[in-house]
Amino acid sequence: MDKKSTLDHNSEVFSRIASLKIHTTKLVEGLLSGHHRSQNKGSSVEFADYKDYSPGDETKHIDWKVVGKTDKHQIKQFEQSTNLKATILLDASGSMGYESTNPKAIKKMDYARTLVAALSYLFLKQSDSVGLYLFNETITTPVPARSKPTHFKHILHELVMLTPQGATKLESVIESLAKQLFGRGIIVLVSDLLTKETGIEKKLNLLATRGMEVIIFHILDSDEVSLPFEGDIVFESLEDDSSIGLNPDDIKETYQREIQKKIKYYRSLCSNLGIDYIFLETSTPLEQGLTYYLSRRKNPGKR
Amino acid sequence: MSLNFLSPLYLFGILGIVAPILIHLLTRQKKKYQRFSAVYLLMEVKNRCTKRSTPNRFFLLFIRCMAIILLSIAMSNPIFSFNTSNNFATNNPSANVFIVDDSYSMGTQVNQETYYSSAVKTVLEIIQSLPNASIYTVVSGSSSGRILQEWTDAPGKIKKILETSQPSVRTTDIGLAIKQALRLLEPVSKKNKHIYILTDRDRNGWDKNYPSALETKIQHPLHIIDFSEMRSGVNQAAVTRSEVQQEFLNNYHIVKVKIKVANLLESKLIKQLNVSLWIDGKKKIGGTIDIDADSSAEKELSFPLQSNDFLNGEIRIENDSLITDNIRFFSHQPDQTIKTLVVDGDPNTVEHLSETFYLERALNPFDSSHSNIELTFSTPGELSRLNLSDYSVMILCNLQDLPYGYEQELEKYSLSGGALFITLGDQINTKFYNEKLGGILPVFLKAIHTTTKNKEPFRFLIQPSKHPVLNIFKGKALQEMKSITFDTIYSIEAREGTNYTTPITFKNEFPAIIESINGKGKVILFTSSIDRDWNNFPIQPTFLPWIQRWIKYSARGLDSHLKKNLLIGEPFYLQKSSEKPTVYITSPNGKVTYPSSINGKIEFQDTDTPGVYKIYQDPNNFSTRETSTILPQLPYGAELIGSFNVNIDPIESIPGKISNDEIKSLLPETNITFSSGYQKLNVKKTGESRAISTFILILMGIMLLFEGWLVRKE
Repeated sequence: MDKKSTLDHNSEVFSRIASLKIHTTKLVEGLLSGHHRSQNKGSSVEFADYKDYSPGDETKHIDWKVVGKTDKHQIKQFEQSTNLKATILLDASGSMGYESTNPKAIKKMDYARTLVAALSYLFLKQSDSVGLYLFNETITTPVPARSKPTHFKHILHELVMLTPQGATKLESVIESLAKQLFGRGIIVLVSDLLTKETGIEKKLNLLATRGMEVIIFHILDSDEVSLPFEGDIVFESLEDDSSIGLNPDDIKETYQREIQKKIKYYRSLCSNLGIDYIFLETSTPLEQGLTYYLSRRKNPGKR
Repeated sequence: MSLNFLSPLYLFGILGIVAPILIHLLTRQKKKYQRFSAVYLLMEVKNRCTKRSTPNRFFLLFIRCMAIILLSIAMSNPIFSFNTSNNFATNNPSANVFIVDDSYSMGTQVNQETYYSSAVKTVLEIIQSLPNASIYTVVSGSSSGRILQEWTDAPGKIKKILETSQPSVRTTDIGLAIKQALRLLEPVSKKNKHIYILTDRDRNGWDKNYPSALETKIQHPLHIIDFSEMRSGVNQAAVTRSEVQQEFLNNYHIVKVKIKVANLLESKLIKQLNVSLWIDGKKKIGGTIDIDADSSAEKELSFPLQSNDFLNGEIRIENDSLITDNIRFFSHQPDQTIKTLVVDGDPNTVEHLSETFYLERALNPFDSSHSNIELTFSTPGELSRLNLSDYSVMILCNLQDLPYGYEQELEKYSLSGGALFITLGDQINTKFYNEKLGGILPVFLKAIHTTTKNKEPFRFLIQPSKHPVLNIFKGKALQEMKSITFDTIYSIEAREGTNYTTPITFKNEFPAIIESINGKGKVILFTSSIDRDWNNFPIQPTFLPWIQRWIKYSARGLDSHLKKNLLIGEPFYLQKSSEKPTVYITSPNGKVTYPSSINGKIEFQDTDTPGVYKIYQDPNNFSTRETSTILPQLPYGAELIGSFNVNIDPIESIPGKISNDEIKSLLPETNITFSSGYQKLNVKKTGESRAISTFILILMGIMLLFEGWLVRKE
């Protein structure tokens, strides 16, 4: 009931986001043309350009009219107008279930849910297909990509039913996902990236080199950034780490430095791999974060 | 090395650490549990982070507990002993001699307790901590050196004796007490023997001749417990002398008491110190005196005599922490009859040709009660049968010589305070005087000078004089004295190394009177005759007051050699022939003693109470006893014949304290332990011990400061 009400409450967010158009900078292959222009040149319906024939090119694409006029073998190139296939990877590990000590603050999982729903809504409204993959150590709930508006219900259903648990194994998840996804598209990763794994860089690079546009939403609760606790506290892990007792005052400064260092690391890594990285603290209004992202998508140079 | 506690009960204070532990437990924050996402990150950070606030709280608790523990330890007076090689650090029974200094300086009060009472408490505490079957004895550390308690194994006996005892008025004599202790320890068969000296370490109590004075070496451990820690500056002043003089030469009877008060403070001037004079328990006169630091000042208190009764007086100064030395006693018998022995060297059957004729009329013209001079006449031959100590003044008139060897008696008489008035004449054996009386006369008799009828006779050189005898002769009296003529006089020549004065000279500058001091007595030599053989002076009106004044003056007023000033413990002696009546002595506390008399010498030794002792004689009793006896009261009809004063020895008041090194040098090769009376002594350990309370308190202070710093930092 709570989850439902949260979604209802966030419908306002959806409507505000709906007024924005998502302008992707990359076109994905698909059957439906939409607002997304493919960057791939090939045989399609709209002429794009000529290129000199070279051995290996199909002879059927030779424009004989041009050969007749210029005696040069020119091959026609066409722009493809495709449907965007968006795959949303939502971290459903235990760490995403962190609930802030501030009762008024939005829970991290709810924040992520809302974000994913909003993104799904946007994609579907543009007739793009959207798939959702919930994961922790593995992909726990795959929702195949569809472009039907009714598909939104399925996504919402899975989001509502989601219970964060288990450890985060992002490397293996990305690896397995890379095997499952064919063609190009958008992969949106929504996670807190709180994992001890060290090989994420390679896995993200794998996605990027396969021509996929990757967007990472790095979501952290304000508590996870500032560690505002006081007194002697036994911290119990939401994943598989052992408990630890300490006085947060002793390590607060170092912790804050460390978390900022991680954020900086991901930002730098993504920048290098051509990945969009958006860091969102749960205290940041969601629409503000999305607006910021979408405006950046409009102007890719501002990345 | 060992650590011992003098007040181990304070160690129970360690239980006080329960308080900070409870506070810690009650106020500690309950451990909270928080589910958190980035625990692995917390672990990484914690491993790198050196800051620890949680352990700090435990550290603070540790510091607070340590501070309480250290305070308890400090309060329990820990003694750290470096020496482990002592042979009595066992629980074996021991023989212990306690030398308790009961000199009057131990009566110094600090915080309503005297050093003596603290010493007594310490002795009892030591006895309590000694193993069972130990034996104890207590010896006085004052000049009496008496055994206060013989060997006993019953602590109760010691307790009873000591708790009812008081400091004496004697001075310290540790040497005597150590001798006594060694004598007591000698026959004891116990292996462990200890000597404890509980004293304020007055320097005067430690004889420099100890090593030679002690017949045997001190082989037993010697524990010296010092009670003088708080002494400096508390005993401010002491009366050190009181001397009575009566203006007997004037018509008024004024008694003057010269007092001397010592400032015992090393660096503080005493201003307006109250001084008062008391007679028979009533205040007569008071005043104030200023005394520079570490010095003495004199003051004269005088008062008129109301009657001729015996004066029992005392000088008091305002009280300080030691009351005993604030009082000094004196006595005085106004107008005491001056017993004068006249030895006539030229007796004559014709009265007016004899010296004694003129002397009797001049010195006792009407009745003995007027002049207060009681004359006894004698010839040289009778001298050996007389007891000179019965007389204050001897007048030797024209004495040819003395019986064989009698000059020594005369000298002794003079040295002990008897006055000699010697007049010359035609009988004088100059050779005898010059050869035999060298110990008495400061001059040689040189030659006789005679004037002829045609020549001017010798006359006094008349001039106003400040001499106590001559200062009343003024105006007409002086004019009358000018008419006195002398036909014959002796010239004199000074003996080498002697001092004398010439109060009166003749006009030719020949001395008429030679005055000198011999020991306690005065010697007056008149260089002419005292009868009319050589001058007309005896028939002059000025002769009577002149000779009376000289006799009284030579007798030092009314001061007879019977009166003595003694110190506590000094015996009083009195020559008494069997023909003389029995003598009794009353002490200041009212005790009547019939003193022992051996070979005509009365000896009185019970002078342990300061005050005035009166001497009586019973004219109806002539018996003597060889042992002293205490009588319930004075026999009926006993007459007061004299007195003597007994006062404390002011040397004990001098704040000089002997150091550890000085004691060690006095008693070489002796195992000596020094400790403070206020920190007491742990008797089970010896050797070089150190009280470490101060060190522990400092350590505690540092820990508390550190704790404060940590709290502030947190």
